[in-house]
Amino acid sequence: MARTKRFNPDRDINVWTGPYRPYDLAKEIIVTFLAVAVIAVVLAVVFGSPDEKSVTVKSWSTADQVDFATTAITELDGTSATAQYGPPYNDVKDVSQMIGPFSIESALGVHIPVNPAQDFVLGPLSTVTGNPKLSKALAEYKAATPEQQQAWSAAYEEAVKTATVTAGTLVVPPGDYGPVGTLIGNLTQLATSGGLDASLINHAGFYSTDYTKSLLFVADGGYFSSLGDANHLSGEQWGMMNETGSYPGQPWLWLYTVWYQIPPFNGDNTFGANADALVWILMMVITAGFLLVPFIPGVRSIPRWSRVYKVIWRDYYRSQR
Amino acid sequence: MTAALALVVGALINLTGPGHYIHWGFIQISVGNLVVIGLMVVTFIAAILIPYHRKGGQS
Repeated sequence: MARTKRFNPDRDINVWTGPYRPYDLAKEIIVTFLAVAVIAVVLAVVFGSPDEKSVTVKSWSTADQVDFATTAITELDGTSATAQYGPPYNDVKDVSQMIGPFSIESALGVHIPVNPAQDFVLGPLSTVTGNPKLSKALAEYKAATPEQQQAWSAAYEEAVKTATVTAGTLVVPPGDYGPVGTLIGNLTQLATSGGLDASLINHAGFYSTDYTKSLLFVADGGYFSSLGDANHLSGEQWGMMNETGSYPGQPWLWLYTVWYQIPPFNGDNTFGANADALVWILMMVITAGFLLVPFIPGVRSIPRWSRVYKVIWRDYYRSQR
Repeated sequence: MTAALALVVGALINLTGPGHYIHWGFIQISVGNLVVIGLMVVTFIAAILIPYHRKGGQS
């Protein structure tokens, strides 16, 4: 004898025996499209859109030469955030974020190789021609031992702390930094001229749209983060992809970023140190939960319990009384 | 020429400039985002409460 399952209103479908009414779906789509188009055009005319100038290596180095030079020396000696980032840029060990014992970044490996000293400093300087002093400094630096290079870099890092800009030129107090002063001074000039921006673009494809290196270089400096702080865009604001000024962003994506603002992810602990990876996996679990709502007993009954459908179809239910 | 063009195509209400923010505990949200959230809530309630167009009638 076949076993029949008891009817479950959250799982089984009733055969509709009531009246039907015609509905023009094509008309609804066209009317909705036109309405949204008109609203979008009106809002665009009334409010416009944010028009902040993009930050480039040129604009950064022009606005703050000392910050640029301070950052450039960390790229040269391998102590910058990019140089210490690990995968996918380089193979620094034990710095990737972990989900328990597993690191997604380390598993995927170094697939966007970036060598800051070569890519951001020595490489671009090697393209400069007609500057014997720079060529000599480059040759001297490359011929030195790693210990000597580190000693020069350390001396320059100390000296650049009290550097000034005079008549548009970076002036670093004298010190025992060998050819490094010439290298960073010329790199600063190359940056303010816009030449470094061009050097950092990846020309592998037909279109030059890979700004990875220049973005990493700019993000290593203090200038870019100070702009973010000034615009409340450093992560303390709710929502994702927030905008400058009074323009709204995408606040409906708040659920992804809210975790960064609450314990334990906002703390100076293991959760905080691995927040990006842990928040991602948490959101994957929550997203799976949303996708599986029709299969989760109790949760799938909320629409029936809340009786919102009785408000939407109130005319029908009123006629049934 | 540029000024005239900006006058023609420029936004009527300029939202560029320092933003305004609301702090409430660990919540910090811009007024712009809060307005958008308010409009979304109003739209949701309106979608539930506004009666269906009855032209065509029930069969």
